[in-house]
Amino acid sequence: MNSKILIVEDDAVIRRELKLLLENAMYRVAAPEDFEDIPVLADREEPDLILLDVNLPGCSGFDLCMDIREKTDTPIIFLTGRTDSMDELNGMLKGGDDYIRKPCPAPLLLARIAAVLKRTARQESVPPCFVKDGVRLDISRCCLIWKDAPIDLTRTEMKIFHRLFQTPGEFVARAELVEELWENQIFIDDNTLSVHITRLREKLRSAGITDFIETKRGLGYRI
Amino acid sequence: MSFHAFLKDKSLLLILHFSCMCVLAGFLQVTGYRSFNIILILAVWLIILCCWIIVLYRSRKKYFHTAGQILEQVDQRYLLGELLPDSYRLEDRLYRDMIRRSNKSVIEQLRRVEQDRRSYKEYIEGWVHEIKAPITGISLVCENGRKTSSFLEKEAFRTLSIENQKIENYVDMVLYYARSEEVYKDYLIRETDLGDVAAQVLEKNCLILIQKHIRAEVNCTHTVFTDQKWIAFILNQMILNSAKYCCDTPVLQIYTEHKCNGVVLTLEDNGTGIRPQDLPRIFEKGFTGAGGRDHERATGMGLYLCRRLCQRLGIGISADSCPGKWTKLSLEFPVSSFITGGEPLSFENVR
Repeated sequence: MNSKILIVEDDAVIRRELKLLLENAMYRVAAPEDFEDIPVLADREEPDLILLDVNLPGCSGFDLCMDIREKTDTPIIFLTGRTDSMDELNGMLKGGDDYIRKPCPAPLLLARIAAVLKRTARQESVPPCFVKDGVRLDISRCCLIWKDAPIDLTRTEMKIFHRLFQTPGEFVARAELVEELWENQIFIDDNTLSVHITRLREKLRSAGITDFIETKRGLGYRI
Repeated sequence: MSFHAFLKDKSLLLILHFSCMCVLAGFLQVTGYRSFNIILILAVWLIILCCWIIVLYRSRKKYFHTAGQILEQVDQRYLLGELLPDSYRLEDRLYRDMIRRSNKSVIEQLRRVEQDRRSYKEYIEGWVHEIKAPITGISLVCENGRKTSSFLEKEAFRTLSIENQKIENYVDMVLYYARSEEVYKDYLIRETDLGDVAAQVLEKNCLILIQKHIRAEVNCTHTVFTDQKWIAFILNQMILNSAKYCCDTPVLQIYTEHKCNGVVLTLEDNGTGIRPQDLPRIFEKGFTGAGGRDHERATGMGLYLCRRLCQRLGIGISADSCPGKWTKLSLEFPVSSFITGGEPLSFENVR
């Protein structure tokens, strides 16, 4: 079952978009518009994580955090426009699990949510398994499996495949691939991406897989 | 205060004395005193006059010397009025009173300016925090848009994201400029992995950098004790600066080295470089150089802010360049033996 996240945020646009972002990332999301009974709500809804804004109308996120802590141990991430170090310290002392400054790049936000969830996970999550045309991507061993024989991948190749396997049959734009790689701390330009793809093709061909990665000029790649 | 100047100041009084002496001598001569007696009287008069002049000179000299010393030692010179030594002289007391009154008005003026500045700064900080909400809103809209919409729309959202990121960077500059006076108030020193910070900054600006076809290599194995937020801001400025003056196949290299007195983080690019005659001035406020004028709008604030913050944080910043080939910007983090626990040259913090 997917984790449930409670968003406590007073800015309507940010709330809506956060909800959308998290829903796209396959979380279940609750985003109340009324902040009167957040601790009660947090208790009733039993979310796996709470995203808490610090400046709320009528109350402070820090106080809210303390109230929530009295009832439950749900992990709390502060999400705030305040940049003061003292606020950050305050947030951690009041029982927050992480402190994220707005605006924060969405991938980083998701990564930090995932990190907190992983740390506090109630059950072991099984890494998803990707298969396409008999080729299986083994994330934990960082290789492709074809006819029971593993083909080792480098970190960069792994990330490229991870992205391609997520949307089999659909083209992924080169720019999008480069962005995905940057988000995973591989800082390459698009010429280097072409080099990697060429090498990957070579690797696949020598293992006996042909035409696995399809290119469309000006659009991108797909598997 | 020289004796000569003092005599000159008292010249009117001396002239008066000498003319009185002449008149008295004349009078005594007429009333039939002997010349010996007249000379004796005048000599005594002259001796008394000289003694008086010398004593006065010494006491005045001492007074002004003390006042001068106070003026040298006190750190707020406008407070002199309060600190002048006591004097029985009417003139001194009157002057002191006037200096006090004048100083008081200076102090009031200063307070007013200070208060204005503080309230302006508070407003700017508040404003920055307010403007971050809509920036966050836009960035989230773009992020969701880029995931869900069609190819053309994706492009539009990407452009919007890039522009939004630029706005964020400019807004950050305002915030950090406003804060640069009082870095110590907003400080959270902890062990910081420079590689993480560099990756974070690159990721934050990824769209801008990708658009410029920049390739980056991060090779930071050292940790230092510093404030993450400020370092991230400084590095952000340095990277954006490199991105501004890049060549056709730009490569950014960020690496750390352990040198004798600390850890040095270097950002090396293969951009247009800085001319040798500009090199000493790039950290000056408002300096844009030839490169800045040819390229995009340069504000001349980025590197200035970096140096200012580095000074406040106790980090060394330096630049070196070979025009047309490479530019290196280095941050030097002093590693004190106090923090690493004993040996100043310890490599403990190498992972």
